[in-house]
Amino acid sequence: MLKKTLLSAAIAMTVATGAQAADVSEEIIQQSFYPYANGAPTFEGLQAGMTINQGNVEQFKDVLDPGMYRFIKNGDTEIKVGATTSFDLHPSYVEATRKYSGDVALGAGHGEISPTVAGRPFPAEPSTDDPRAGEKLAWNYKYGYNWGDSAAIAPFYWTMRDMESGKKERVLKFNFHFLNFTHRTSQEPYPKIEPNPSELFRGIYAQVLEPFDVKNTQLLIHRFEDDTKVDNAYLYLGFQRRVRRLSSGQTTDAFLGTDVMIEDFEGYNGRISDMKWNYQGTRYMLMPFFNHNELALDAETHQDDDGYQVVAFGGKGGCFPNITWQLRKVYEVDSVPVDENHPISKRTHFMDAQTFTIPRTVVYDRKGDMWKNWVIGQAHPDHHLPVNKGTGVSIDDAFTMIDIQANHCTTGQFKGIVDPEMSPVDKFSVQNMRASGN
Amino acid sequence: MSKTITTTFSHLALGVAAALGTGIALPAAAAETTWAGFVENATYYRDGVGISKFRNTAQGEFETRFESDTFRSLKLNGVLRGTYDGVYDLNDDEFGKDAQHAYLGQNWHGQDTSTAILTPGVSFPCENDPTLCGNLDGYMDHDENDARFPEFNDKLDFIRELYVSADKELNNGDILSVRLGKQQVVWGKTDLFRVLDVINPVDYSRHNIYDELEDIRIPQWMLTAEWRMGPNSVFDDSNLSLVWNFDKFRPNNLGTCGQSYRILDAGCFFSSSANLQLIPGGPYSQPVPIIHDVEEPNWSLANTQLGMKWEGVYGDATFSVNALTYRQQLPSLHFRPLAPGAPVPAADGVFDIKFPRVNLVGGSIDYYSMDMDAVWRLEMAYTEGEEMPRDTNGHKETDMLRYVIGFDKNIIIPELGTRSAFLLSTQLFGEHILDHEADMPNDEDNWIATVLFKGFYMNNRLSPQVIVAHDFAAKSTVYAPSVSWTPDNHWMFNLGLNFKTGGNETFPWSVASAFGDSSAQFEPLARFTNGPIGVANEEDEIQLTVRYSF
Repeated sequence: MLKKTLLSAAIAMTVATGAQAADVSEEIIQQSFYPYANGAPTFEGLQAGMTINQGNVEQFKDVLDPGMYRFIKNGDTEIKVGATTSFDLHPSYVEATRKYSGDVALGAGHGEISPTVAGRPFPAEPSTDDPRAGEKLAWNYKYGYNWGDSAAIAPFYWTMRDMESGKKERVLKFNFHFLNFTHRTSQEPYPKIEPNPSELFRGIYAQVLEPFDVKNTQLLIHRFEDDTKVDNAYLYLGFQRRVRRLSSGQTTDAFLGTDVMIEDFEGYNGRISDMKWNYQGTRYMLMPFFNHNELALDAETHQDDDGYQVVAFGGKGGCFPNITWQLRKVYEVDSVPVDENHPISKRTHFMDAQTFTIPRTVVYDRKGDMWKNWVIGQAHPDHHLPVNKGTGVSIDDAFTMIDIQANHCTTGQFKGIVDPEMSPVDKFSVQNMRASGN
Repeated sequence: MSKTITTTFSHLALGVAAALGTGIALPAAAAETTWAGFVENATYYRDGVGISKFRNTAQGEFETRFESDTFRSLKLNGVLRGTYDGVYDLNDDEFGKDAQHAYLGQNWHGQDTSTAILTPGVSFPCENDPTLCGNLDGYMDHDENDARFPEFNDKLDFIRELYVSADKELNNGDILSVRLGKQQVVWGKTDLFRVLDVINPVDYSRHNIYDELEDIRIPQWMLTAEWRMGPNSVFDDSNLSLVWNFDKFRPNNLGTCGQSYRILDAGCFFSSSANLQLIPGGPYSQPVPIIHDVEEPNWSLANTQLGMKWEGVYGDATFSVNALTYRQQLPSLHFRPLAPGAPVPAADGVFDIKFPRVNLVGGSIDYYSMDMDAVWRLEMAYTEGEEMPRDTNGHKETDMLRYVIGFDKNIIIPELGTRSAFLLSTQLFGEHILDHEADMPNDEDNWIATVLFKGFYMNNRLSPQVIVAHDFAAKSTVYAPSVSWTPDNHWMFNLGLNFKTGGNETFPWSVASAFGDSSAQFEPLARFTNGPIGVANEEDEIQLTVRYSF
């Protein structure tokens, strides 16, 4: 804890000594990062501890997204309501926002932004009068604190389920790793890792541990600072023992047969410039935020020495995480693919205003019909693994991607660990893929 | 599901340290071992022949990770495999030591003068002909049980892989990595055919060119060392690696006569003889074996093989630059004259098999094209020291240039009933013989084109695909449609067809001319012209594979 405090102080000092524009005002900082400082939002009849189900869902339709409303109304699931809690991001990220975001502006072209160092680039409240408000919110997500400067999910269970029968068809066991090369605030070095000749912004590395037929499959994604540049993606197939380049077409394909596209990772995993972003308004909605250690967990799927257990699933087909939901401030943003051949017509994202994570997304097919529902449950770091306490990372802790047209879902159970030693820079290299593949 | 076992591997850890030559005595290290594997049956039925494969395989893989203060990573990996192919018990009329051949090449062409000059190949000569067995000693001299249980031999092939690897982080953040043991080292970016991927020899007797290379590379005892330098001011990633193959040289296994898969039908050619006793007044009293001796290099330091590779990432391109000194893995036939300068062969055998030293330089690059949303792959190798077959003297040393251009694209085709993208992967594999001669059965330039079209349905659990490969010089084509069904984490069913056209090319043979027929012949040279696809033109099969993984 002391170490983290010192790191925070260090970033504060670092940013303090650089050439700066005017600081972001304290009012904006407070509004952006501490929306519940003056009290939690309320909705008539909604109380912590209650359950929303088929019987009372109409009463709470206004605080539910259309996907969850549909599931509850159909009796596919019910949700338990928890108290709204503040998910404070790491102070170093807040401080970087204060110091660096005062003069950040969008560029003239779609997907362009003025040079940024770290922090939330557009902390001010969005306005429906601003035609590029959605784009600014997308940048806030891209440069959000998300998994912090680096983190790992190890292990990470993906289960493919027949929603009708509840049959578990396949279970994939992964390790996932994330690393920010730039826009770093809390882990040394900051604000960026050098050398970085291609000016990478972020790396995502995933390795399949099980089952045997896809064991050692590895995925590496390099995202560039220049958002107009397409990600470089690499795939290592265990049976070929070779690293192959991926075309971007594969990022919108079913990842290893799951209901999730690579582009869906973390809510949205693509370029800002691949989408037209339309801000629809600010709402207060029930969102999947909870304290992991207070849940009734799944004792079967994962056991380890430190006693960690993953989130349990239930509801129709076992497609719904057994978590609690809390009323939170949300920005509703539509993203429409620029590419007319994209398999979807639109995503509606419900961005959490405090953390800028995207815990809820509704996906529409080319015809405009609802296709998939994407839930990424967020756990408070102080009520999770001890190593995560004080990290200020909203921990992705459970997901479900439900294909309502195919009556099929893929669920995810996480062991998220914010520990820089698990995600060293060389893990995000092509050479590491080859060397790790046997 | 793989199993994880946590145990204490103190002796093994010490052995690992000793093997790495570090001189560091590691303390007893808690070790975590994971196991995985599968059992599989592959039953293939060949048109007009019957069962051609009834292969039953059990494979286990383990990885043991040691905790070490000295190394960032220290682990032991192994792959064990055992196979029983029941085709030699179920279809012993066609395959096995008692299989008879009406004439040489009966399994892929008709008769002509050449098949009268050459005797049929002898199935498993070590079960039927002691002289041939002695001549072939050391190479393609398997007996029937070697084919029935291919991993259980004096080379301990049931140990597919067994190696220890260690990563050491240097003070500057670079990684020094060492891997020692029996292993596969894979270079290059090509599917199906090999350009740079030549460090390990290949066992074509398992299923010609059609099994995954991972399953048919013959692992070798090697030491690999890598210096992973990571990014610098120019490259996003770079790595310098050294490969020392200190194992005793092993050539490609082409399949012994009598086996169900014998690429180019070489096994039967090597166990045939020339009816030179038919020459009136000649010096021969009986047929002359085609092969007199196999000169496999003995183990010596000078006979080991050494390679170096520098690879990296530059912008949107990944690249490698490769150099390797190794031995030709395909046999080269050296003519043995009856007397110095005589154009007729010695009476105790026409050719000696040799495996010449080859030096290779090459490289590979792949590049993602944003405009095409597709990946281009290029791979090239230039060799000196290879020997190519020819009529005169059996061979000629020549420099060779081989290259591959590959193109991969994912395409969404909703009309085909799935939202998943189809993979279209095409390759053009080229070969240029720099010192080509007219009496070489291989064209100076030849190309093989391959197309893979693969689709995914039902969350990738149902996957149909079509592979087509066409050899331009051979005018032969293979079509391999298949569908794979993976109902859960354990079971996999694959049903496929494999049928070929071509195999009709002939090539002039001077010996036939001496027997009064100057027309082009099937034997023995046209096997090279027709290549692995054309020579297998009668091997049309329906193939079912069932696997249970754990």
